[in-house]
Order: sequence, then structure tokens, then C-alpha cells
Amino acid sequence: MAPWRLTMARLRRDRWTMGSLILVATVLLLSFAGGPIASRILGHNGYDQLPYAASITQKPVGPLSVVPALNYSAGLTASGELAPPPKGTPNTFLVFGADGPVGRDEFIRVLDGGKTSLEIAIGGALTALLIGFPLGSLGGYIGGIGDAIVSRITDTIMAFPLMLFLVFASVQLDSHIRGIGISWWLPDGVIAEALLIGLFTSFYPTRLIRAQLLQLREAEFVEAAEMVGASRWRTLRSHLLPHLVPTILVWAAVAVATNILLEIGLSFIGAGVQVSTATWGSLLSTTWGTLFQPQTYNSEQFTPWQTVFPTAFVLVAVVSLNQLSEGLRQALDPFTRR
Amino acid sequence: MSNTIRFLVRRAVAGALTILAIVTVTFVIFWATPTQPATFVYPNVPHLTAWHIQHGDHILGIDRPKRDQYLDYVTHLFRWDFGYTWARGFTLPGQPAAKQGFPITAQLDAQLRVTLSLLLGGAAVVLLLSVPLGAFAGSRIGSLSDRTVSLVALIGVCSHPMVLSVLVRSLFHGRLHWTPPGGYCPLAGGQPGCSGLSDWATHLALPWLTFALLFLALYVRMVRVSIAETLPQDFVRTARAKGASSFRVMTHHILPNAGLRILTMIGMEIGTALGVCIYVEAAFALPGLASRAVFAMSGSTQLDLPVIMALVFVISTIVVVGNFAVDTLYAVLDPRLALGGRPRSEKSAAGGVI
Repeated sequence: MAPWRLTMARLRRDRWTMGSLILVATVLLLSFAGGPIASRILGHNGYDQLPYAASITQKPVGPLSVVPALNYSAGLTASGELAPPPKGTPNTFLVFGADGPVGRDEFIRVLDGGKTSLEIAIGGALTALLIGFPLGSLGGYIGGIGDAIVSRITDTIMAFPLMLFLVFASVQLDSHIRGIGISWWLPDGVIAEALLIGLFTSFYPTRLIRAQLLQLREAEFVEAAEMVGASRWRTLRSHLLPHLVPTILVWAAVAVATNILLEIGLSFIGAGVQVSTATWGSLLSTTWGTLFQPQTYNSEQFTPWQTVFPTAFVLVAVVSLNQLSEGLRQALDPFTRR
Repeated sequence: MSNTIRFLVRRAVAGALTILAIVTVTFVIFWATPTQPATFVYPNVPHLTAWHIQHGDHILGIDRPKRDQYLDYVTHLFRWDFGYTWARGFTLPGQPAAKQGFPITAQLDAQLRVTLSLLLGGAAVVLLLSVPLGAFAGSRIGSLSDRTVSLVALIGVCSHPMVLSVLVRSLFHGRLHWTPPGGYCPLAGGQPGCSGLSDWATHLALPWLTFALLFLALYVRMVRVSIAETLPQDFVRTARAKGASSFRVMTHHILPNAGLRILTMIGMEIGTALGVCIYVEAAFALPGLASRAVFAMSGSTQLDLPVIMALVFVISTIVVVGNFAVDTLYAVLDPRLALGGRPRSEKSAAGGVI
């Protein structure tokens, strides 16, 4: 355990990395637990539509607004204004304001969107690892013809315009896989998108693990293990795998950050999860339009808040994950001097 | 010199093989996708009979053996000939469709010019901004100004190309009316309202700016790290000891040495840059390759497979040729690298935007 304790000691000394670790933990906590808790406290969830949260020009209300908790509008007055709600209607509080003309709670949608985005991002990284580990082991440890095949495949995939294939695959497989989902926890399409992102980014962990194993397999401890009769699988699992953990951790933090951005990209192309499902990508794309219909600036409808809040969450998540990865790399490398 | 040439030949062969592999894989994937090409020939027939399908396939030339089609396609690629679109333009109800589609090569050449203008101009702006900023931050690492530059530059990584494009357009066109809203003016002129260089540049100014803002973070960080790593080296101390000013040390001694890593970075980011082009082109209504490819693939219209294959081919070729160009530059700038291959470089965090 000594190397781990050393790593932890170094991590604790690194203020920036500890800060980003705390930020990552906060974002995770807010995303996965924040939505339900906020819904319980505020009395409405991220799908409830509050017509009174948007003006007659469809401009949503800003942050810290109190609006009538009414899921229908009481019609228009003669002058074209929204009629006041019936007497005795309770009010409800919108922390970040409303998300658009429909008038859903932006705060809860950003939290729920974080959950969905992170599920896709983490699921994508896990899928990439599940594909990359066997392929990388085949290439780096077993070697021979398997290595040649794995290297050629990854080289070719890297020259491919990946986004295009991701779009193509999402559109083509849409009807078959989009429906897979489990209630609020895993909305429809999340698993499909995670699998596709994982599949198309798996070449990267494959290359990393292969390169690492190519170095490690010459090490004396591997020779020793093989000499006492350990099978290849056993050597890989109990002698080599622990040495791969640092590499995988450093990659995983960046991969999750990258996948968050990929998910946003897919939402802008319209190839992501359903628009009604909140993700950081779908929140941004409902404001800015998709690739096929970029929204034009309209001062009567536009408020900056629907961009500011999701972007702020994305910024915190992506920056702190990158910093965490960098800090981990330095802490895990016994030769860094700090 | 012979080592350099051998190295370049090896890279060129590897690149050509990659392109061939991509053509083959695209060919297989796309012919395995379920589509009904005959509807392009009979757009006005509600229910295609077996005869319609057979005849349609025959007119499109896809009833021939797959091997013949593949060989035919590859030999035509060598002549930069992508064949004809399946789509035949607008057809009046009840009328048969035109005999032949449009030639793809002409469309593609125009789109290629747009995308290359965006890529090359954008890259120039990125370098012009990131080298001074990175040099500034890199020479005082850990200071407050260094942290500020890095943090501000990071905003580019976290705001999506689409958001940034629309934002930049709303500001500079919508509010300030400084630039045209979008669209593309060919450098050669020939379009109404377009007269050569100045119109070309003003129409592309905003896309270039957006492009630059997005990549600024990456390059500033890269330049910053290279500078910081070069600073403690002996030749820098020697230059200082000889009495060179710190500006001269930076421009004459540090930057040329840090330049190689920046070059690697450019080589590795061509694919990412093309991914960013998708959004920038769409937001500024530039008829470029990347956005056309997404439009063609996303199923908003029927899949026109020859067009898609041509687009994928050209985009992959840009990546491969770009990498080869970077390799060539290397081999010329630092012949040692031809012996040991490229220096290692980490891939950027924004690699995933594509």
C-alpha cells in the first residue's frame, strides 16, 4: 500500500488538484442527488410546465423569480396580457429562472441534465475501457499478429472523421436502441449514446494500455511471475493490472470531460437523447438551435441565463476534471519533483 | 538526407494505406446500410415494385457486382472523380426524374475551398494570438497573470463551438453591424456582391475569430508548457549571459526551440479542427465540407451514398495529408526526428469535440 499512501500524500499537498477534486465531487453530488432534493423542496420537478414563468413574448423569467404554481394559463386579457391566475394559487420559486417559452425550472433541469450528461460521459468512458482493455492487452502483452491487427485498426480509426460516424451510427441505429432506458435514473437513449461514444473513442485507451504493456512486459517482475508458472491471464490480472491503474485513472478523468463535450456536440446535431430529456447539451441546444436551424438573436425572447448556467456547470466539470487528471499524473509519477 | 527521404517515403506509404483502408471500410459500411436507392430514380412512385427497384438500381449502376463497383470507384478516385449524385434535383409530380444526377466533383471542389479557407485562416489567427499569450504566461509560470491567462483561455474549451459561433455572430453582426451575417464569398469573386480578397476576408472574419477562440486554450497551454520547459536549459542561460535582452532571448532562442512541439500539436489537431468546422460552418452559413457531411449523413434527407462517400474520403484525406505535411516540415526542421519518429505529444482535452 505504500505507493498509494505516497500518492495520497502528494495529492493532499497539491492545492489546485485537491480543489478540483472537491469541485468534481460537488458536481457529482449536485447532479445525482440535487434534482430530487430540489424537486422535493420546491414542490415541482424538471418536467412541470409553468406558463406564468414566461412572458407573453415567450421570454422566460430570470433567476430568483416567484411565479404562480399553475400548470395552465388562465387565458389572455383584452389587452393581450396573461390573465392573472385564479385567487388562492400558491406561488413557487424558480432559483435559476425558467428554461424557455414552456416555463420549466432551469435549476432542476440543470441538475437533472448534469446527471444525464455525466451518466453518458462516465458510461462512455467505461465502455471505451471495456473495449480498450482486452484490445490493448492483446496488442501489448500477447503481441504477434494480434498486435499488428490492433495497431492497424487503431491507426485507421484515428484518421476517421469520428464525429461523422457517430452521427451516422446514432441516426441509423436510432429506432433500434433509443428506447432503452430505465425511468428517471436512466432516461431513454442514455445507454445507447454511452455505448456509441464509448465504441468510437475506445481506440484511445487501447493505444494507451498497449503502449504501457509493451514497456511493462519486459520488466523483471513479469519474468518472475511467468517463471514460477503463472498463466498469462494471472500475470495480466494480478501483476500487470495494478500497474495500469494510474494510466487508466489519468485517462478516465480526461475522457469523462471529453465525453461531456461530445454529448453537447451530439445534442447540437440532434443525434443525442430526446430533446425533452434534460442534458447539458439539450439545455444549450434548445436555446441556440440545432445545426440545421441555428437560432438567430431575438431580444424579445432571449435571456442569457439559459446559456450561463449550463455552461458554468460544464466549465466547472471540464476544467476540474482536466486539472484532476493532471494532478493525478504528477502525483502518481514517482519522478516528479514539486 | 537519405534518412529523411526514407522516413518521408515510409510516412507517405502509411498514409496512402490508411486512406485506402478508409475507402474500403466506408464502402462496406455504407453498402451494408439499408437504403432504397431506387426512390431517387422514381421519386413520384408511391410504392416501388420489384421492377422499379431493379430498373432503378440498373440506372444508378449499382446492380453490378460489388467487386467491380469497388474497383471502378477506387480507379476513379485516383483521377479525383467522384461520379454523380443519386439525387436528381426537383422533379415535377408525375414526371420521370432526370436521367443523371449532378457531378459530385464540382460541388466538392467548391466546398473544399470553403473549408480550407476556414481552416488555414483560423489556424493563422490562432497562432498569432496564442504564441504571444503563451510566451507571456510561460515565462512567469505560477504567477497570478499566468493563472489568469490560462483560466481565461480555458473558457474556449468549455463553451461549445455552436454557442460561441452564434454568440460571436449576434455580437458583431446583430449588435455592432461590423460584418456581414455569414455566407461565403469566393476568393476569385464571380458572385454578386463579392469582389475578391476584401469580401472574402470580411465574410470569413467572424468564423476565423470563433475558430481562434476555441483553440486558443489548447495552444496557449501548449506554448506555455513548451516555453516553461525550454527556459531552464543551458543555451537560454548562455544567451542571457551574452547580454541578449529577454525579448531577443524569447524570439531568437526559446520560440524556435519550442516551435516543434507546437507543430506536433497542429498535426494532431487537424481532425478536431474539422470537427469544430461542422458547427462554425453551420452557424455562419458557410457551404463547407464538414457541415455538408453532417447534413448528408443525419438522415434529414435520403441518404445519397456517393455524396457521403466522397465527403468522407476528402475529409480523411485532409487529415492524412495534413499529418504528412507536418511530418515533412519536421524532417526538414529537425533531421534527427527522421531517425526516431515524432516526438511524443499528449492529445488535447478538446479532442472529443469532433
